[in-house]
Amino acid sequence: MTSVKSALQRRLAAFLSDPIEGVADEAVVVAPPTLDEAAAVLSVASEHSLPVLVWGGGTHQGMGGRVAPAIVLSTARLDSIVDWQPEDLTVVVEAGVRVADLEDLLAGRSQTAVLPEVPGDGTVGGAVAAGISGFRRLRYGPTRDRMLEVEVVTGDGRLVRGGGRVVKNVTGYDLPRLATGSFGSLGLIGRVCLKLWPLPAAARTVTLPEARPDYGYRPLAVVEEPDRVLVFLAGTPAEVEARTAELGGGHEEGLRWPGAPAGSIRLSLRVAPRLLPDALEQIPASWSYQALPGVGEARIGAADFDPVSFSEVRRWAESHGGALVLIEAPGHVHESFDPWGTPPAGMDLQRRVVARFDPDRIVNPGRLPGGL
Amino acid sequence: MGWVTADAPRRAELSACVDCGLCLPHCPTYRLTGDETASPRGRIAAMRAVAGDVIAIDDAFEDMMSFCLQCRACEAECPSLVPFGRAMEGARAELTAQRPDPVRRLRHALLGRLVAAPWPLRLATRAMGLARRMGAVRLFPAVIRSSLAGMRDVPRPLPTVRGTVHLAKGEEIGTIALLAGCVMDPWFGGVHEATIEVLNRAGYRVVVPSSQTCCGALAAHDGDTRRARRLAARNIWALQGTDLVISNAAGCSSHLKEYAQWAGDGGVILADRARDITEVVATAIDEGRLPKMSTNRGAVAVQDPCHLRHAQRIVEAPRTIVAAAGYQPLDLADDQCCGAAGLYSMLHPETSHRLGENKAAQIRGTGSTVVASANPGCEMQVRAHLENWYRIAHPVELYWEALRENELRGTGKPE
Amino acid sequence: MVSASVRHVTLVRELQHLLGDDRVLADPLRTYVYGKDGGIKRGDVAVVTLPENAGEVIEIVRIAARHGIPVVPRGAGTGLAGGAVPTRPSLVVSLTRMTQIEVDAESRSAWVGAGVLNLDLSRHTARYGLHFAPDPSSQAACTIGGNVANNSGGPHCLAEGSTVNHVLAVELITATGEMVVLGGDAPDPIGLDLRGIVVGSEGTLGIVTRALVKLTPNPPAVRTLLAAYDRVEDAAATVSEVIAGGIVPAALEMMDRPMTAAVERFVRAGFPTTAAAVLLAEVTGHPAAVEAEAELVRAFAESNHSTEIRVAADEAERALLWKGRKAAFGAVAQTAPDYYLHDTVVPRTKLVEVMAKISQIAERNNLVVMNVFHAGDGNLHPLMAFDASEEGVLDRVRAAADELARVCVAAGGALSGEHGIGLEKRDLMPLAFSEADLDAQARLIEAFDPGGLFNPDKVLPAGSRCFDIGRPVPEGTWI
Repeated sequence: MTSVKSALQRRLAAFLSDPIEGVADEAVVVAPPTLDEAAAVLSVASEHSLPVLVWGGGTHQGMGGRVAPAIVLSTARLDSIVDWQPEDLTVVVEAGVRVADLEDLLAGRSQTAVLPEVPGDGTVGGAVAAGISGFRRLRYGPTRDRMLEVEVVTGDGRLVRGGGRVVKNVTGYDLPRLATGSFGSLGLIGRVCLKLWPLPAAARTVTLPEARPDYGYRPLAVVEEPDRVLVFLAGTPAEVEARTAELGGGHEEGLRWPGAPAGSIRLSLRVAPRLLPDALEQIPASWSYQALPGVGEARIGAADFDPVSFSEVRRWAESHGGALVLIEAPGHVHESFDPWGTPPAGMDLQRRVVARFDPDRIVNPGRLPGGL
Repeated sequence: MGWVTADAPRRAELSACVDCGLCLPHCPTYRLTGDETASPRGRIAAMRAVAGDVIAIDDAFEDMMSFCLQCRACEAECPSLVPFGRAMEGARAELTAQRPDPVRRLRHALLGRLVAAPWPLRLATRAMGLARRMGAVRLFPAVIRSSLAGMRDVPRPLPTVRGTVHLAKGEEIGTIALLAGCVMDPWFGGVHEATIEVLNRAGYRVVVPSSQTCCGALAAHDGDTRRARRLAARNIWALQGTDLVISNAAGCSSHLKEYAQWAGDGGVILADRARDITEVVATAIDEGRLPKMSTNRGAVAVQDPCHLRHAQRIVEAPRTIVAAAGYQPLDLADDQCCGAAGLYSMLHPETSHRLGENKAAQIRGTGSTVVASANPGCEMQVRAHLENWYRIAHPVELYWEALRENELRGTGKPE
Repeated sequence: MVSASVRHVTLVRELQHLLGDDRVLADPLRTYVYGKDGGIKRGDVAVVTLPENAGEVIEIVRIAARHGIPVVPRGAGTGLAGGAVPTRPSLVVSLTRMTQIEVDAESRSAWVGAGVLNLDLSRHTARYGLHFAPDPSSQAACTIGGNVANNSGGPHCLAEGSTVNHVLAVELITATGEMVVLGGDAPDPIGLDLRGIVVGSEGTLGIVTRALVKLTPNPPAVRTLLAAYDRVEDAAATVSEVIAGGIVPAALEMMDRPMTAAVERFVRAGFPTTAAAVLLAEVTGHPAAVEAEAELVRAFAESNHSTEIRVAADEAERALLWKGRKAAFGAVAQTAPDYYLHDTVVPRTKLVEVMAKISQIAERNNLVVMNVFHAGDGNLHPLMAFDASEEGVLDRVRAAADELARVCVAAGGALSGEHGIGLEKRDLMPLAFSEADLDAQARLIEAFDPGGLFNPDKVLPAGSRCFDIGRPVPEGTWI
């Protein structure tokens, strides 16, 4: 145990938590129970320029650049449902609340936060920080469209709030949206207020043998796999009945969300929706995929890492205004294949914004594109 | 206070504007330029600035006011009911009074001369007709050339309906004094003929007093208030005693309805009796006093003159009339000013031309080669921008043709 | 009045060299006219420019930066919060001539110039069966650039979200006179979502010259209902029950009696003018869905004592009902010479309570209040009518505005639902945010525009940028 680590353990004794398997043995793992205490942790880290890795459910740690942390900040104890207003369709939760737990709770009142449908151990904070959206984004838009308010603990230990707990708001700058997909570069996302939607009365999963150009007016979700298409319908019973008839194919009651595509390497291929069919022609036949028509994303599973084909697909995607992003892969892949690809325009601006929130650049440093 | 005349924009008129900006997209000059100072809201702001002594009337003020077409499309859309047309006339009056300008004085004098009596214009018309027949149109200055291009072929001898009386056909239900109009009489005799014939059949005795004169709209719009008042006074006297006073030029009928401003009590009386021909004929059709003809005559593109649609809010009437004549009325893509705007085509030829081209393109877009226009200025502007196989006529002319044909065939029965 | 051009002779000359004389306005009258938007304040304009493309905007920004003159972007100037009103002599950049539209019907997106009118865009895309969902009341006049700057809403944002949900990318001219495209047509662009920060930034971070917007397919079926009530509480209760009952209508609007009467005079759509409150509800979607939802809305209205429920029979009637609603603000001007239009949001559960408090505020300050608002998302627009020539009335209007903002924030609401903070509510921001919050936002602006070139003194009050709170500042550091 290094002297830095032991010094840290002494300093952060109040928040120490169990080590997380397979994660940064050199790091001190802490799990502060409140945002103020999280601020204290980050203050210490900033003061000594110690890199911090934020840990939610660990489901999307494979994305972005690798962090060699001195501190792992777990949100495990930031797990309260702070304020649920069912009549106003808003809920305020702390970052460590599991997505599955939140959705179960909301379902009791026939509501949903439209978070990823197969979250595993994923947390709300993680979904927001990684900018992850569910299949239902076709109908309801991505997660960032439901971010109403965010409370961030900045890299240098300030508590900053942006947005508001109402569904319509243009008061000040849209920090909630900025925080979505920020991968910790603004600091720890401590608390969020999300806009909720009612759960429709009826739901069905229709299975079709192959892809079509049109699945009807605004289905809930559509997932195209190599050998079948799942169309998810939800609404009033009459509507669901009518739409099922329009589509044909077999159907089951309820929403049968598919698990992740098979493969130890998972990627996200992102292009303009109209280019999705072309994009699928570019990928090797050995890759499995779940393509979201109308959204423009294909969630990909690959068994092996082939630098040539990976680069080819990325090159194609980028030349068409899109991207091929690494979601999960064994360590050696990260060494030869940049997790993001070509950095976005305005890197200068990105760096300056991040510097305003995390001046010492200690929270998830290097995680974002461009090595930010 | 920065105003000097009694006609100046009034405080109540200007304060009605709440700067909402809903007028902007309907203003042709704003649409062309994207410039707030070329918008009704901007012009009101300028008037307020003068009224509030923030600024004195200067070149910029004159340019801003002069660039306005006075189409009053803004008025039709204004939720706060700002009487923009009246306020703009006031601003023009102020410009005349505060900024003596030899060109403006000359223009006022020339126009005054031309309309003071019928003969100067008839003389000028004969000269222009001669020039056209000789192919010497090029000799005329550019500003007049397009007007010449838009003229009808004027028959010889020049027609006139002044001093005539026409009895109703069948039972007489009322009397109408017809405004002969300064250009209508010599140049648009066909419209007068159709007007009189149709009104007679609708049950009206039509008189055309010879002592009448130009309605004064052009003078009013150009800030020549003294002349506008003199002309109004004369018309009130000349056109008295009938149930209605009708004009078949939308610009004139609109102005007659505003005579209260120009001539006191007599003005009120005339204004109450003033109508555009389209409303009277459409009403007669709706009430069954005039027939609806069933023979399908094809499509006609309906051009809405600003002073009919925006100033008088008459939209359906011309369509009712052409439909009753057996045509299928087609709307244009929008109701924006054609760019004639009285003297505007001579004072701002480029803008007038652009708007004329736009309107012509819209007409072409309907696929119809027949255009119904209830205002002579619009008819001329549109004709000047269209190919020579387009026919532009007053809705009542189209109706009269169909009616006459039916009468000759003996099948003048309603549907 | 000293001509601004006297003070800025070289500036004006450089701009004229760039744009020609026609598109640079520097005379006292024209610059005066550009000093105001749809709100109540007027500012000082040094010179106005009307660029026609992004290249010209870039040059204008560079010239302005060299001369140290603030830049105020302007669309149609229909904003109500003073967003386009300069606080110091400024260079106004009017984006109204940037009116290109390029539609990609297959992708359901379009690159749109900042000067395109909101309704013109939807008119243009109608031929593809598409429309631009954000539909503020001013949509016939306001520009897409303005919508982006304010994150504009409108009645149909209840189900579709505000402008930010419909912006895929923005073409931004920065303070250093560079162009950067933030976002794109692929989902989840990598890196920080700076596009999301630019939308709603009220012209303080740069000039957006074009935006790539999402277009929404026209729904196959629509039902528009009008419900009348004898009590405002019943209308509000209907709104709450509709939302709680699992329906998110396409739009859910409310008007009180004085407002309905004013609108009916103007539009004559047959609004029931004796009702205490009127609800305009619209459901859209699949024909089967629409039937069912319309029935549910009707049932909720009936169970909350609605005295009359009417369903629009055809598109013409529907259009007339909406015309009435959207002309509300202007129609009010027929009632009183002047008015102050508020914009605030409260949780829907607090609607009735807050409306009652608003009535009391109006009464206490001897003002007439009329209400029209987006009941479905709790976005209130109380309108205080008055006569500005009456002595002392402006002070009472100000006092009422202040009280109203406090009441709404105290009820858990926000300072602005769609009109923006601009100049008008800037100094109320401390009601909504702590010093640390405002400081973080000030730093954000700094990251984009360190020199405060764009639309200074808007959104954040003076002094928002304070020194570090989390850590001590080394001695001698200039703050």
